Amino acid sequence: MAAPPPATLRPGPVQWLRRELFGSRLDGLISIALISFLLAAALGLARWALFQAQWAVISANSTLFAVGRYPLEQQWRLWLLSALLALATGLSWGLLRALPRSGPPPTLWPRNDRWAVAILVVLALWLPLALQLTLAIQLRWWASTALLLLARWAAGRWGQTLSPLARRLIPLIWPLLYLVGMVLISGGLGLVQVAPSDWGGLLLTLLMASFAILLCFPLGVLLALGRRSELPVLRWGSVLYIEFIRGAPLITLLFLGQNILGFLLPGGLAPDRVWRAAWVLTFFAAAYVAEAVRSGLAAVPSGQLEAARSLGLSMPFALIHVVLPQALRVALPTTVGQFISLLQDTTLLSLIGLLDLLGTARTVMANPAFLGRNAEVYLVLAVLFWCCCAALGLGSRALETRLNPNLAASR
Amino acid sequence: MVLLPPSAGGVTPWWRNRRLIPWLVQAAVGLVVLVLIAFLVGNLVANLSAAGLLLSWGWIDNPSGFDIAETLLPFDASLPYWRALLAGLVNTLRVVLAGLIGATVLGTLVGTASFSSNGLLRGLARVYVEVIRNIPLLLQLIFWYFVVFLALPDGIDAIQLPGLVLAKSGLFLGNPELVNGVWQAPLRFTVEFGALLTGLVVYTGAFIAEVVRGGIASVPRGQWEAASSLGFAPLLTLSRIVLPQALRVIVPGLNSQYISLAKNSSLAVACGFTDLYSVSETTLNQTGRAVEVMLILLGSYLVIDLVISALMNGLNGLVQLRER
Amino acid sequence: MTSPAVMIEARGVEKWYPNGFHALRGVDLSVHQGEVVVIMGPSGSGKSTFLRTFNALEDFQQGAITVDGITLSDDLGHIDAIRREVGMVFQQFNLFPHLSVLENLTLAPVLVRKLPKPAVERRALELLDRVGIAEQAHKYPGQLSGGQQQRVAIARSLCMEPRIMLFDEPTSALDPEMVQEVLEVMQGLARDGMTMVVVTHEVRFARQVAHRVVLMDAGVVVEIAPPDRFFSNPQHERSRQFLRQIG
Repeated sequence: MAAPPPATLRPGPVQWLRRELFGSRLDGLISIALISFLLAAALGLARWALFQAQWAVISANSTLFAVGRYPLEQQWRLWLLSALLALATGLSWGLLRALPRSGPPPTLWPRNDRWAVAILVVLALWLPLALQLTLAIQLRWWASTALLLLARWAAGRWGQTLSPLARRLIPLIWPLLYLVGMVLISGGLGLVQVAPSDWGGLLLTLLMASFAILLCFPLGVLLALGRRSELPVLRWGSVLYIEFIRGAPLITLLFLGQNILGFLLPGGLAPDRVWRAAWVLTFFAAAYVAEAVRSGLAAVPSGQLEAARSLGLSMPFALIHVVLPQALRVALPTTVGQFISLLQDTTLLSLIGLLDLLGTARTVMANPAFLGRNAEVYLVLAVLFWCCCAALGLGSRALETRLNPNLAASR
Repeated sequence: MVLLPPSAGGVTPWWRNRRLIPWLVQAAVGLVVLVLIAFLVGNLVANLSAAGLLLSWGWIDNPSGFDIAETLLPFDASLPYWRALLAGLVNTLRVVLAGLIGATVLGTLVGTASFSSNGLLRGLARVYVEVIRNIPLLLQLIFWYFVVFLALPDGIDAIQLPGLVLAKSGLFLGNPELVNGVWQAPLRFTVEFGALLTGLVVYTGAFIAEVVRGGIASVPRGQWEAASSLGFAPLLTLSRIVLPQALRVIVPGLNSQYISLAKNSSLAVACGFTDLYSVSETTLNQTGRAVEVMLILLGSYLVIDLVISALMNGLNGLVQLRER
Repeated sequence: MTSPAVMIEARGVEKWYPNGFHALRGVDLSVHQGEVVVIMGPSGSGKSTFLRTFNALEDFQQGAITVDGITLSDDLGHIDAIRREVGMVFQQFNLFPHLSVLENLTLAPVLVRKLPKPAVERRALELLDRVGIAEQAHKYPGQLSGGQQQRVAIARSLCMEPRIMLFDEPTSALDPEMVQEVLEVMQGLARDGMTMVVVTHEVRFARQVAHRVVLMDAGVVVEIAPPDRFFSNPQHERSRQFLRQIG
């Protein structure tokens, strides 16, 4: 088993290949076998993708995949929302890069950042063409991307001039945007109502995921605090809840939500199926987030709370200003991992009859015009999910590095 | 705490009393929860009575009226519901057991491959884990079932390996023979089972690989160096020195992955495999007995989780170091 | 001349831990304004436990403690009032790692005393200057040495303008070369008339700065005496034993 060589002795590429791939006879054999297998697989895949696959199924149904059966004449609201999202993302991204941080700047960050921008631009240019979208839609795509990049640049340029108060308020644009988004999507305030049963595709998936992510976090923090409390009622209540949820498969809980919720409310009335599922997802994720935050809380030395209390800070202040900030920094990677799982778990909505991205895909494939095009659709879906989840993972690592130089400078 | 009277102000007001406040908080929370539960249960009882569906278990002896595609125990539509649920449970246990073994083997192989001297092998292990972890399990299961297993050829064209035949009609093990265009063999699995098993093994294997990798990485470098200076070959070092120590970190991680796999087996419905959840869903749709079916369903998975946890905790006790 | 006011009055304090261990067995102590009292003793003697009862970080089952005229009782209002007037410095510094040095100092005065931030920041910078690390104001605790961190901890407590300062083995976790800088700060505080109760092993500090030395052993106060009498002519056998042990 080899350890990587020290930097001064790092060999050139040819020597590196020789050592890594053909270091011993066994290694050489393995390498040859793997390389031939990989080449064969790659060629097969390429041949299939270029010659046998019919990608029309994607482009013909792109609207369905994107927003389900959302009424055509109301879709401008969704475009407005995506423009706002692009703006918010660009601002957050730019500020993340620009705001001063103490400690040495991590060297990898600027390089990865440039790669991210490059990939974004390439995707934004290529996707609308590949999906053969109409010119009007292509223009809107490009406009949104331009808006994102513009906001990112502007935030990077002028972010430093913001007052500290403004900086503390910036993260609030996301919950605010969420509320605005809900109004835009469902209606009200003068806009036509669009029933949840008309929401579908990527729109529904992202909506469900973001709803659950936003709400499960505070609930999870409360549960974690309850779990560690010394008061028996709070502690055992939290334990019961967390262990019950963690012992049950998500599909059974979704099923429970769909079937029993109607019985639990007076007169048998129940909220729309979409909202039932959204709340089940929230309560489900909260239990897992609670466990992540609990280990974060356990990592904060007890002396921190003692010091805060001995300075005269009341318990709520001590928790909010001293204990939780430290606990959440520790719990961040695991918590974001839970968010990624949540995004993936939205696919289970298709099993209870909701038309999320996967559900929409299955209805598309049931369409006789597109019979047998399973592989193309599933491949695109897989790539889409992979990109979203990987992006979340990368974002989390970037956020971690951003927060931790404050703590890690001495370690 | 202190027995002396408080200061000149008189009795400590209740809202500042350090001893009283915890009880007040608990009483308040308890009250809210109890009221909520009473409200929900009250509605539940009222609505169930109105629908004639009050909690009872007699229906479980009624004939089920549906068939189960694949089952270890003999079953047909005339047998009662409880036999159906039992068959579903057995199916779940079958796939979970096979899945645990398969995922552990795959995960261990990939996890140790991350430490191979071959750069390509290491890279592939990394790619495998990163790709699988970021694609939803349901999507992977559907892929295996619809795109791979259902696309298998049948009859003469079936994929024939030594002792194993992969065909659209099923997976045949142990001397399969083609009889009148239909494959027969002593050991036969449906493609539904095969797809579910493959999907679960590939998915959970990636997570187990990470657990194994983390476990091996947690063993100090000094152990490797000491072993090699004693003349141990790398493979021997791994199996005799490093892995036993890595197990201390690996076993707890495996516990959560195993429970995860057991719960994920409930997605069998996407592969058309009739596991416990799938049978329960059908039962509920036919009888309308939501509460009872839910209790059975949640109770069964809870028991499975507890059994796995108990076994893993026992294993944990074995692998922990005995320290002074 | 009137005798100085009594800042801390402890009478008959008894404490049992939940496992039954009798940590404090009827301890009495009076601390007057401007006095520096050093508590010494072998480990497990209860000296830190006793110190921590003064600002309610530890409970006690019997006896009475009055701090700055306020009785310690179940009344949270009393406890909060006491904690505002009493500053504590810990062995492990307990600085807040996610806040800068300046923010560590300004957090409590702004949140608890509700003072305006600019005024608090000015005072904080003065205090940092007084303990000798004004230039580190915008660094984070993780970037400072142990001695610097402890000095920040002292400044953080001082920023609340306490009338009493408690020190729980403030130099025990420091490397030897940094002990002196912290002791010098504490000496400065004593010179300025701060009422201090210090649990420590530093004999030289006790000799030079303390007005009285208290020896505790196994939950009891063995002897209380001015330092010159205590160190050269201890009255009790256990005091002599202890002095032999610390050499």
